[in-house]
Amino acid sequence: MLNPCSAADIQTIVHARIRAILEDRGDENIVIAGDDKLNATLGLTSMDLALLVSELEAELGVDPFAKLVSVTAVRSVDDLVAAYRLAFAPAAATPDDGLAEAARRAASRRARMTGG
Amino acid sequence: MSRTILISGGSRGLGAELVTGFRAQGCNVASFSRSKTAFIEAMEGSADFHWQAIDGRDHEAVHGFVNDTASRFGRVDVLVNNTGIATDSVLPLMRPDDIIDMVDTNLTAALLLAQSCSRVMLRQASGCIVNISSVNAIRGHEGVAVYSATKAALDGFTRSLARELGPRNIRVNSVAPGYFETDMVKGMEPAQMDRIARRTPLRRLARIEEIAAAVHFLASEQASFITGQTLVVDGGITC
Ligand SMILES: NC(=O)c1ccc[n+]([C@@H]2O[C@H](COP(=O)([O-])OP(=O)(O)OC[C@H]3O[C@@H](n4cnc5c(N)ncnc54)[C@H](OP(=O)(O)O)[C@@H]3O)[C@@H](O)[C@H]2O)c1
Repeated sequence: MLNPCSAADIQTIVHARIRAILEDRGDENIVIAGDDKLNATLGLTSMDLALLVSELEAELGVDPFAKLVSVTAVRSVDDLVAAYRLAFAPAAATPDDGLAEAARRAASRRARMTGG
Repeated sequence: MSRTILISGGSRGLGAELVTGFRAQGCNVASFSRSKTAFIEAMEGSADFHWQAIDGRDHEAVHGFVNDTASRFGRVDVLVNNTGIATDSVLPLMRPDDIIDMVDTNLTAALLLAQSCSRVMLRQASGCIVNISSVNAIRGHEGVAVYSATKAALDGFTRSLARELGPRNIRVNSVAPGYFETDMVKGMEPAQMDRIARRTPLRRLARIEEIAAAVHFLASEQASFITGQTLVVDGGITC
């Protein structure tokens, strides 16, 4: 378990774990960009994401989705990295970071779906 | 390699029977309950056994226990979601807090324990979950409406979770026992027990080892193609 984790470490670890899952699936020449969508671009299913979160919890010792962040707010690789950065430094999070924006998007999607 | 079995509520009753049975098979066993019994004390210090005093409704403590178990024994192969409480009271007379408590203990705690274990099992790409349900999930009985609701919910959970986790080589089943003698039923009148026995085609209550045998079967390789099912072990009372 890495603690505390630098922002750069977190990005490296998250990217490595995503790459490992894609390799297991048989993908080759994987290049991961921050704005890649986990599902639409990389083709990760919700169970792939569950495995990813489980592996990251084992490696980093934190689960940002237990309390801090709703997983529905996470769409891109950068959103995921931001969630783990938040878990290590919740006080340092600014309302303008990518995750807060993603959370706003998710909330407005939910409101549309429920008619609220 | 020895299998690791996590059993909630292993201090007495069916949980204790399962702890004994799995240890006899050479498995590592981890269990928690709120209070320590002489049964637990006798095993303390054994390398293949890990017990902690935890209230199953304390989700953070339970999540920590699952991760501790995985670090200590290297894996979690089987979860038996066994903890349960029952009170005999008709719904209109139940205190709201008792209703909430029963749902928290019998259902919410079981879902969250399964969630924590499923994460370990996902990493292993294998595992097996057995939820302990009840015949009350299948047939209605006066005085157990809330208990029945929690157990029927567990059976629904079993089926959907089996679909979610099946592709990752994790099986999920439930066992629905008829009545068997433990602390849970000690408040029942002998006449009530006799009535249950008379209505049971096999004319008796279950022996605890007969319920445990069903759990052992579902947790074994012999059940390797069984998932999403509820195995009713009730001497025929629901047939
Ligand atoms: N006995 C029957 O006739 C019967 C029939 C059908 C189904 N079942 C089901 O079979 C399962 C086992 O029943 P049993 O008869 O063996 O029960 P039991 O003898 O009353 O034992 C229940 C176990 O669960 C633990 N427990 C209860 N509440 C807990 C909590 N909040 N946190 C942690 N542990 C808790 C108890 O320890 P502590 O109290 O120390 O916490 C004990 O170890 C239950 O799910 C029950 O619903 C029983």
